[in-house]
Amino acid sequence: MAGRRGTNPTTYSPSLKTQKTRSTIFKDDWVRPDGRGFQQCRPAFFRTSAVTAASGSAYAEFGNTKVIVSVFGPRESKKAMMYSDIGRLNCNVSYTTFATPVRAQGSDRKDFSSMLHKALEGAVILETFPKTTVDVFALVLESGGSDLPVVISCASLALADAGILMYDLVTSVSLSCLGKNLVIDPILEEESYQDGSLMITCMPSRYEVTQLTITGEWSTPKINEGMQLCLDACSKLANIMRSCLKEATTTSQE
Amino acid sequence: HFSDLRLHTVTALCSRLSLSPLSCRRALSGSLSRDLSVTLPPPRLSEKSLVSHALVSRSQSQLSRLSQLNSPVSHSLVCRLSISLLSTLSAPVSLPICLHGMVGLSLGEKNFIQGGIAQDLRSDGRKRLTYRPVSVETGVIPQANGSARVRMGATDVISSVKAELGKPSSLQPDKGKVSIYVDCSPTAAPMFEGRGGDELSTDLSVALQCCLLGGKSGAGAGIDLSSLIVVEGKMCWGLYIDCLVVSSDGNLLDALGAAIKAALSNTGIPRVLVAAGASGDEQPEVDISDEEFLQFDTSDVPVIVTLTKVGRHYIVDATSEEESQMSSAVSISVNRKGHICGLTKRGGAGLDPSIVLDMISVAKHVSEQLMNKLDSEIAAAEAVEDDS
Repeated sequence: MAGRRGTNPTTYSPSLKTQKTRSTIFKDDWVRPDGRGFQQCRPAFFRTSAVTAASGSAYAEFGNTKVIVSVFGPRESKKAMMYSDIGRLNCNVSYTTFATPVRAQGSDRKDFSSMLHKALEGAVILETFPKTTVDVFALVLESGGSDLPVVISCASLALADAGILMYDLVTSVSLSCLGKNLVIDPILEEESYQDGSLMITCMPSRYEVTQLTITGEWSTPKINEGMQLCLDACSKLANIMRSCLKEATTTSQE
Repeated sequence: HFSDLRLHTVTALCSRLSLSPLSCRRALSGSLSRDLSVTLPPPRLSEKSLVSHALVSRSQSQLSRLSQLNSPVSHSLVCRLSISLLSTLSAPVSLPICLHGMVGLSLGEKNFIQGGIAQDLRSDGRKRLTYRPVSVETGVIPQANGSARVRMGATDVISSVKAELGKPSSLQPDKGKVSIYVDCSPTAAPMFEGRGGDELSTDLSVALQCCLLGGKSGAGAGIDLSSLIVVEGKMCWGLYIDCLVVSSDGNLLDALGAAIKAALSNTGIPRVLVAAGASGDEQPEVDISDEEFLQFDTSDVPVIVTLTKVGRHYIVDATSEEESQMSSAVSISVNRKGHICGLTKRGGAGLDPSIVLDMISVAKHVSEQLMNKLDSEIAAAEAVEDDS
């Protein structure tokens, strides 16, 4: 139980003393370190065609969270040797070794990969590429909080850049509950003190939720309020993503 | 002309099922009403699928011939024939336990399942919001600190809790640790052998952690982590909850949640005496007594309710056949106070947000009954264990 077996011996890392003093802070009068309001998301930056070798790719930067996603396909895959009349979607999320404040072994996050798969499979029209596989590889370059929602939004942008047919863009936002406050798009520090979290993935134009994950104790009115906040933020994020895609096509036409 | 073709279909069917053609002709003359009073032995599953395949293929061939002849017959008529026959065959029959994962269902069987759910009468006679009978046994694994086995119909899961001493994390020095891990054994399905069951295992482990462990700060957790601390900052108990899926017939998450609840109520953590005089960063000396002491307080542990959406209705405790027809499923964990402790949506299709809120209210209503039932079953199981 004391640590993982078989890992590299840890190198010296300065302990972050500030964390101990913050742990006694009252969450009810939390002030966000970057000066945002409780219902304000971080400014989003998207860029498509970040990786030229891939069929489609996208890079997203939300404050300190930086993610790059490449899409390869549709192509044949050894795993999908069996005939199937719908396509396969294969998702993989991994962290670099320098993504977290303390150097960790870069590894695939299997749980994030399966959540990314579930978020995207409702939106991708699998019937358009039977017998083949589309691979989505996400790499988190820096983890600054709210990682999975950024990965999901960036992945749907990369799929759009690759030309894979989808019902709608998939956007995702997460919400943290700190004491009595609902804080949208939390950073790493806020996430470590949260009392509960709500992550929603939706297709904004169709107003459909493809994935919803809630942890912590919530009463029904709180869930209602949280969902409304997140859905609103998702639709605004979708507009930003659309304008990014339009920009990319206009610059390529010039 | 048309009636001859219909008769031909039915007689061909009857010869397969060894029904008397006379009774079938009588039934046909009664124009396909549902009260076909035919007594026959309950068909085995393989026979039933043979029948339905025969029906579908025959109806398709009939249809092609009839369309050539330009007869005004509708596909729905032939389907109704097949469904009415199937319903009489399968009403009181319990299907044998050989279904797992991707079940091969014929069109007739799919329509039957969806139609039954729409009419609030499922294949095994339950209503939409009724659970299968639950049976709980505790103390099945003597070497573990706590264990339980839960059976819901044909779904069988075993959960064990082991406690080990270790160091608490530096971010939360006053809390113990809990780790939940699910393993799908190949005895449940051959596709779980080797790495095949990994995806389902990770799925279930993540969903259970999300439902039972609460937020990162530990608030809202079903298990009170601060009761696991021995020496603050230096030593704490770590609970390793390992679950095993022995047989799978749908609704694994609910069964696992119930098994964890039962195992935790069965868990006894040994008392630890800390030697005085330990200072600084040294590991304190501890003496672990052999008498089990701390019994867990499981009144806060939530119960997980999975609502499966088939067509326009929700069902609770789906079998694997019904799960193969689902469009999406939402698993909600509710505690005794009626608060939501966790929620995960599974399944691909999108859901309207209002439907999600409706599902939450239905889950709260169902969870009360399930919680009471589980509590009484666990108490009964513990009583049996104490006697033996």
